[in-house]
Amino acid sequence: MLIRFDHPRMFDNLLQDFVVGDFTSAVKSFPAIDVAEHENEFVLLAEMPGVKKEDLKLTVENNALTLSGMRKPYEIPQDARVLLNEVRVREFSRSIEFPSDVEVDKIAAELQNGLLRVVLPKAERARVKRIEIQ
Amino acid sequence: MGNNGKEALMRKHSSALAKRTEPVERSITPVADIYETADAFVVKLDIPGATKDSISVSVEPGYLSAKGLVGPHHTEDANLLLGEIGRRSYFREFNLTEGINHKEVEAQFEDGVLTIRLPKTDEMKLKEIPIK
Repeated sequence: MLIRFDHPRMFDNLLQDFVVGDFTSAVKSFPAIDVAEHENEFVLLAEMPGVKKEDLKLTVENNALTLSGMRKPYEIPQDARVLLNEVRVREFSRSIEFPSDVEVDKIAAELQNGLLRVVLPKAERARVKRIEIQ
Repeated sequence: MGNNGKEALMRKHSSALAKRTEPVERSITPVADIYETADAFVVKLDIPGATKDSISVSVEPGYLSAKGLVGPHHTEDANLLLGEIGRRSYFREFNLTEGINHKEVEAQFEDGVLTIRLPKTDEMKLKEIPIK
């Protein structure tokens, strides 16, 4: 392998940004994400193939959700011979800032079939309110 | 795009006309890892978001193919602020060497990764030769 990814964090970022940015579809430093807005909530989806629950961390701060974690290498038998290796095993991190306040205590996340689904209810004050006409 | 930089989502008009919906189906070649052990070949393909039912694997002498369909993920009322996933159609095929017991091929799907195990025929298996 040409580049090692065990550098201190900052240097790692530099490498990711400038060296292996978005060269091929197999090299992806950031998970692909969908964010859908609904009337009362946001739904975020992120592709996480091969990522275990315990290797994924979600944090939220000032309406920004950060997903970070690591895709670990497959456990293969010691005597195995690797014939093809396209899967990039490395750390990933991405922060998404939502356009309105979310109810931090009510965020729910599940990881299933390699897809992370996070539901972020909008804060009461950020919801669209219908005004009754007297 | 910096690793620690926050990406602020912009809200476009969410009127019916300007609403952003899920992108249409895209064909994707899933990334693969393949390794060989003494008694089998193992193929691993990334198909995040698929389910067991949406994946099919077919094998015949000399040929293996796998496909999977993913999505749609969102309901009709969704306004997509960021849409990088979309509906996806995954497909990949491989030529196989001789010496695979194609009747005993096994597939399993876990954490968005499809694992296909192709056992070797007895003649192909690595044998240790006893020294007399």
